[in-house]
Amino acid sequence: MLLARVEGNLVATRKHPSFDGWRLVICQPINHAGDPEGAPQVAIDCHGAGMHQRVVISSDGSAARKAVGDDKSPARWMVIGIVDEIEPGVPV
Amino acid sequence: MKLGAVIGRVTLNKTLSSLEGARWLIVSPFTREHYQRGSETPAGLSKDPSLVVYDTLGGGVGQTIGYVEGREAAQPFEKPTPVDAINAALVDEIFYNPFTK
Repeated sequence: MLLARVEGNLVATRKHPSFDGWRLVICQPINHAGDPEGAPQVAIDCHGAGMHQRVVISSDGSAARKAVGDDKSPARWMVIGIVDEIEPGVPV
Repeated sequence: MKLGAVIGRVTLNKTLSSLEGARWLIVSPFTREHYQRGSETPAGLSKDPSLVVYDTLGGGVGQTIGYVEGREAAQPFEKPTPVDAINAALVDEIFYNPFTK
């Protein structure tokens, strides 16, 4: 799982059928200070994460396959939660 | 899924029977800098090494694709197949708005 910031989204007409109807968001992995680390990942999003919101993304393929409901899906990265506060009482 | 630019194609002369008839693309992965350009294909290669991606969607040279790496790439196949990167989406448009403090 990685802490990431949502920095955009994708439009793709031709894609694996399991991605049909799913929002694809560009997630930039960040460190604790909020600075970008590494290349952005595209994740499926069922939570409706907004632009520049901090999220947690998971690389668990089996959970992503369950979410899209297709055993043959190559889905891997998925937004599993939206971050309210990193330290208790300190909203981001 | 990561994004990358298709920079070439591969054809295999001799191949495993499970991979016969497969289409392969050479893909240069996008780094953070490549995203800033929106839908246009970035000129030049990224610093990250290029990779060969299995393709069922029909990606062409110059297109931007989304590919999945890892064990999940072999998931769409009926039988165990030695594939660890697969083209999962042909990207039409990218809306990217990098965060600046």
